Amino acid sequence: MALQEDNLWYKDAVIYQLHVRTFCDSDGNGIGDFQGLTNKLDYLQELGINALWLLPFYPSPLRDDGYDIADYTSVNPTYGSVEDFKTFLTAAHNRHIRVIIEMVMNHTSDQHPWFQEARSSRDNPKRDWYVWSETDTRYQGVRIIFLDTEMSNWAWDPISKSYYWHRFFSHQPDLNFDNPAVREAMWDVMKFWLDIGVDGFRLDAVPYLVERDETSCENLPETHAVIRDLRKRLDLAYPGKMLLAEANQWPADVRAYFGDGDEFHMAFHFPLMPRMFMAVKLEDRKPIIEILEQTPQIPDNCQWCIFLRNHDELTLEMVTDVERDYMYDAFANDKAMRINLGIRRRLAPMMENDRRRVELLNGLLLSMPGTPIIYYGDEIGMGDNVYLGDRNGVRTPMQWNGGWNAGFSSADPERLYSPLISNPVYGYQAINVDSQRRSEHSLLSWTKSVIQTRNSFRVFSRGSIEFLNPSNHRVLAYVRQLGEERVLVVNNLSSSAQAVELNLQSYKGHIPIEMFGRNLFPRIGDLPYLLTLAPYQFFWFRLRRI
Amino acid sequence: MGADLYLAEDTLLGDDFLRQLMSVGEVDLLVAIPSYNNASTIKQTVQAVEESYQQNFIRERVVILNVDGGSTDHTTDVVSTMDGRRNVGYRGLTSLRTVHRVTTQYAKSPSPGMALRTVLATADLLRARSCAIVSPTTTNLDASWIANLLRPAYRQNFEFVAPLYARSRYQGLLARNLLYPMSRALFGRRIREMYSEEWGFSGRLATQCLSQNVWNDEAIRVRPEAWMALTAICSDFKCCQSFLGPRLPPAAAGGIDIVEAIRQTVSSLFRYLEIYQDHWLDRTGSQEVPTFGPDHELSADGKPSNQEKIFGMFRNGVAELDPILASILTPDTHAQIKEIATLDPSSFRFGFELWVKTLYEFATSYHHAVINRDHVVQALVPLYRGRMYSFFLEHADSSPEEIEADSEILCLEFERQKPYLVERWKAKS
Repeated sequence: MALQEDNLWYKDAVIYQLHVRTFCDSDGNGIGDFQGLTNKLDYLQELGINALWLLPFYPSPLRDDGYDIADYTSVNPTYGSVEDFKTFLTAAHNRHIRVIIEMVMNHTSDQHPWFQEARSSRDNPKRDWYVWSETDTRYQGVRIIFLDTEMSNWAWDPISKSYYWHRFFSHQPDLNFDNPAVREAMWDVMKFWLDIGVDGFRLDAVPYLVERDETSCENLPETHAVIRDLRKRLDLAYPGKMLLAEANQWPADVRAYFGDGDEFHMAFHFPLMPRMFMAVKLEDRKPIIEILEQTPQIPDNCQWCIFLRNHDELTLEMVTDVERDYMYDAFANDKAMRINLGIRRRLAPMMENDRRRVELLNGLLLSMPGTPIIYYGDEIGMGDNVYLGDRNGVRTPMQWNGGWNAGFSSADPERLYSPLISNPVYGYQAINVDSQRRSEHSLLSWTKSVIQTRNSFRVFSRGSIEFLNPSNHRVLAYVRQLGEERVLVVNNLSSSAQAVELNLQSYKGHIPIEMFGRNLFPRIGDLPYLLTLAPYQFFWFRLRRI
Repeated sequence: MGADLYLAEDTLLGDDFLRQLMSVGEVDLLVAIPSYNNASTIKQTVQAVEESYQQNFIRERVVILNVDGGSTDHTTDVVSTMDGRRNVGYRGLTSLRTVHRVTTQYAKSPSPGMALRTVLATADLLRARSCAIVSPTTTNLDASWIANLLRPAYRQNFEFVAPLYARSRYQGLLARNLLYPMSRALFGRRIREMYSEEWGFSGRLATQCLSQNVWNDEAIRVRPEAWMALTAICSDFKCCQSFLGPRLPPAAAGGIDIVEAIRQTVSSLFRYLEIYQDHWLDRTGSQEVPTFGPDHELSADGKPSNQEKIFGMFRNGVAELDPILASILTPDTHAQIKEIATLDPSSFRFGFELWVKTLYEFATSYHHAVINRDHVVQALVPLYRGRMYSFFLEHADSSPEEIEADSEILCLEFERQKPYLVERWKAKS
């Protein structure tokens, strides 16, 4: 079954993010693989998602969860082969699920042959593929991202006796994008996967591609030029394919990565994510409204990507110091929950397993402008293990059932790539797909329902947004509109019941139809529209003029 | 102001105002600004409160409440139309939550008691943990004042927070010579400023005060702040003082009207003695209350004005009010006052012993209503002027420390003579 041809498909996507390693192990070695993932595609189709974002699956020393790539055009043997990937890709497409893969352009592993050659001698042709220096004082003042582990952005290479530049871990040397050969090599990598049939790339660490003296070495015009060149080639040779930017920056800075619609198709809206959590904790819409007011318009062919949780820590780089302190106090009072400038926890534990808050946040995610991303396991409310080190606590095996290894693998438990979550609250015996499939009231069933509703109305994915700003600040209300299709969304961010009066004068005469139960509500008249909401309740109303 | 100004309990808060409160919801902090034709100054008051919220209470749920007594200069419009958008003016800090601003007009003419009742009802409904009241006429109010008034109740479980001001030696003489020492001696707490336009209190005290059926009492309608302090004291609530700084008089004020000040404060104090007589009659001595910041700050600045005129008014008053004073005071006290009124201005003294005895006799005469109570209080005015003049002479060359030491002696004299007051108070009751 062919995918529908629509070059703007990414706007209507509901993306599910997973790491092959974590999802399903088909060969009993304790590590998830493509065969296992392929076997679980029915589940993902049933969930209602229509795009998959796969974390790096390339050969790698795995010192940064695969973001340290040692070979860009192959599959890590523990996950399968390129053939296995092709099989998976076809099966996904057959289920109308597009596949987005990782493109880690900024750096390679220090085990990549390119770097091995580059460091072997100063005269090696690959030498100039990386950024070298005789001193570690160049680009002084450039911030260090992994503050917990790195002291400098320069690392000493004892083989070639010089320093190499790395914005992330010291085992991840940055590529030199001033070198045309590097740019050509990366395009070759992309072509390799595009020819196989992938639908898009999530480009990692985009702002750091190019370095210049006397700058922050972030968001430089030269970096944008690299992106524009890639996009041009992509549109010419592979129309309908998508580029997604990882640029953990303020919206005004990220805006530049959309260019004039000629750089990225999509970019993550990083600052919105912590503010959704903050708004619910503060019981005040202010953080969300403020950041969206600061979010510039983007070209028509572009889209924000929004998310609640992902494989990394809940990043708090794009908040003020005061907001960061609040987030730590509210969600990470145990120091073990913190890493770098963020919080290494999953959605459900952060919400203290409060189903109402989990649903409210998902409701926000799925009704605000942007393409939503659901992190694997969050649809069933999986827990985390903050004591596993790095961010491994949110990367534990998917919990399929309450049996052997949670149905993830037939291996001995000791052989699993990571311990399962096994505590009484979030353990696989309590939280798993099979048990939630059996109940139409489970979080999984609810998630399916809300995704299905979203997918049924294109207004969610492509519509405009108008905030209503009722005087009750605990209520976040907005109208999404696309042509004649209008949806009113009303969210109670508070832990107590709220009454709210909405100024819906512009929609006088419309009948609100609650979208989950399809019940009619009183017609909108001249008076402010009064609604009462239970704690953390939200409504989606279709506004119809009949 | 007539009784018709008072709304029934169920309409104390109008529907529009209630709607605003619904939107605010529960709060941690509430700062109220009673107003009446303060359009020219209230903006800076609101800004000071917002700045304080942003500096000191970034995470808290907060509200600014303007209760207006029927302004005709659009004071409430100034408050409600001020730019309320994100203000990052102070070191980039901004409140995490919405800073709410609500306004209500409680009557068509001003009444401090009615304003306070509205504030208390709001605090009670919103379950505010800590509240403060500030005046839009205080031209030098700044963000630190707000924090100093709110913090003790919010962070340290105090129920009433009295302000302390830096004074020049001739400021606050009514408090220094009468209100403070007398209320201290009677109620047993050393709170210097019970009559002020700024103070703080807990939500618990707000609820306690709101529940009392006192709102038609003239004293509470006119000067409710001391009643609130005394309610806290008599309920054994934790009280404290918080230093704010110098308080500049309103720029437009034409000087302090002693007659009106005494009419309001002294008559209310005398009235409170009746309301709370069960609490003070058997109480002896006085206790310090915790104080944040210096417990006083007195500068040597300032000059007494119109000394001769003040003395003349004292002397004339004693003569003109002789029959009234005769009905208020004991013959012995009356005679002593008449005697000092004959003294040469340069050697005049209205000593502590006589001053305290005089006041206690005024209080009992007020209590027993020997004559019209308003006349009792008005008759005190010339005698207070005599005490003022005496103060000027006694402290012409005193240092601030000497003035403070002398004030302490006066306080102790009030405490020493308290049995005399109790005896007379009980005599006819």
